[in-house]
Amino acid sequence: MKCQRCGNEDPAYFYEGHKGIYCRKCVRFSRILLEEEMEEKDYEIAIGADEYRFDYHLTPRQREASRACLASLAYADVLLHCVCGAGKTEIAVESISHYLAKGCKVAYAIARKEVVIELSQRFAKIFPKAEVTAVYGGHHEKLTGDLIVCTCHQLYRYPKTFDLLIVDEVDAFPLKGDETLMNISLNACKGRVIFSTATIDDSLQSILKKRVYKTVELFVRPDQKPLPVPSVVYLKKIGALFYLNHLLSEMDRQCIIFVSGIRECILLYKIFSRFYSCTYVYSQLEERNEHIQDFRSNRYKYIFSTSVLERGVTIRNINVIILDTHNIFDESNLIQMTGRINRGLHNEGGKAYIIANRFDEEIDKTIDYLHMANSYL
Amino acid sequence: MKCLYCDSRIDKITLKSLFFKEDPLCRECRKALKTEHKTIRINEIEVSTFFDYDSLFRSVLLQYKECCDEALKDVFLYDLAFMIYLRYLGYEIVLIPSSELKKEKRGFDHLKLIFESTGLKMNDGLKMKKQLIQEGASAEERKRMTDNYVYEGKPLRKALIVDDVMTTGSSLYGAYQALKPYAGKIKVLSLARVHDFTNQEASVL
Repeated sequence: MKCQRCGNEDPAYFYEGHKGIYCRKCVRFSRILLEEEMEEKDYEIAIGADEYRFDYHLTPRQREASRACLASLAYADVLLHCVCGAGKTEIAVESISHYLAKGCKVAYAIARKEVVIELSQRFAKIFPKAEVTAVYGGHHEKLTGDLIVCTCHQLYRYPKTFDLLIVDEVDAFPLKGDETLMNISLNACKGRVIFSTATIDDSLQSILKKRVYKTVELFVRPDQKPLPVPSVVYLKKIGALFYLNHLLSEMDRQCIIFVSGIRECILLYKIFSRFYSCTYVYSQLEERNEHIQDFRSNRYKYIFSTSVLERGVTIRNINVIILDTHNIFDESNLIQMTGRINRGLHNEGGKAYIIANRFDEEIDKTIDYLHMANSYL
Repeated sequence: MKCLYCDSRIDKITLKSLFFKEDPLCRECRKALKTEHKTIRINEIEVSTFFDYDSLFRSVLLQYKECCDEALKDVFLYDLAFMIYLRYLGYEIVLIPSSELKKEKRGFDHLKLIFESTGLKMNDGLKMKKQLIQEGASAEERKRMTDNYVYEGKPLRKALIVDDVMTTGSSLYGAYQALKPYAGKIKVLSLARVHDFTNQEASVL
């Protein structure tokens, strides 16, 4: 027995109901019976939808990567291995346009809802004649269009539909380590897949092992700025607290302090709010957008955050301190966190610090990766 | 064995699991799915409710009803089935009907499966006049349900009307009105309450 959608073969997950046997591992994405045929979603692509234009020019390196990506799609899947801020979306545009011109169905899947909304607006500008449909939780009345931008959780609505599927941020929550969701996402595709990621970890490698793929690499940001390499200090408990205080007292710009948990985040906020102007944010906090907005508008100098600010946030002129007290952050976390620095078009500089409990391989790997990426400049 | 909701393994043998049927949920999930018995008055009827309609109950019920996950049928009344059996001994359960469309899609009657574990007699004589779907309906629209039920079964001595979630109470009230001429004694039970009506009367009509 094998579930045709999520690929589950564990018999403990199958349950016999009134209508037949179904898989319980992926039942949260509506029930699918073992013998049920999955229907492909059928729709037409408008002629002329492939036309695209940028408001800016791609750098020679981006153009080269874009061409390599399209050429490789002819015979294999593509793994876009780029540093954060390198312009993964722009690189994929040429391939999307090529597939749309052939009348093939294309989807762009990304983990978070906010990013889907932002990205669909960006694609609507890039493809002025195409109808870009955003599909995410609570917004799925319309499921067809020329180009579909959706969250990975919504891909179950399109079994075996797309000729080109771009899965962005494979190394991030929720795709990371979630085999069921990954299989459901890949099941939406009958043609080629572009995985785009900043780091390659074991779970991604195990997926790639089963597929034929070609890697396209780009380790230079369009503005040729080097990635900041963090300075690492190994300190425990009270020592880390004192060192953090020392850093904060001498800091001349805004700073994000990443901590490993919600309890820690609140505790540190309570301690340090007595001495500095600071705020805090974590994923379950209801007024988190206001807190981030306050930080953006320079009302507070420091913000304590869990990994919620790790991706998709651009704040100018900041430093980053990563307080890795339990050594729970892995390579992709650390790279994304240090990647918050020096974004945008102005070269402002900025420093990254890691305060870790003990020596950790992941930190070592991060620094190696950043040095390697900087060597391409 | 695995927890039916969060997929974590249940390995611990408790004293309870030696004597009774094993809990389909793990301890953490069971703890989070709190039961608290409250009685809510709607006009002249009293409704017994057991759960708060919080995010966890909502997601479990959605997985059971909308994603058609039949395996979750024993989750809701695991603690309560025997209590309900004793409390309503001699009563016959009258199910609030769900729309034919949904029933066909699911392939099972969701209330019937939940309340089968109590061991009380079942009666599905209650029918809808019009097939209305209440999902996402406003309070105004829900009032239509008050005169949408008709009872077509044989007369009963003691009847227990059951429903899963009570939002405004209009469907329970409508079912009560329809059943009233055919039953001697009627009690009403709902698994969850959306609002907390403690010490105040629900204003349905």
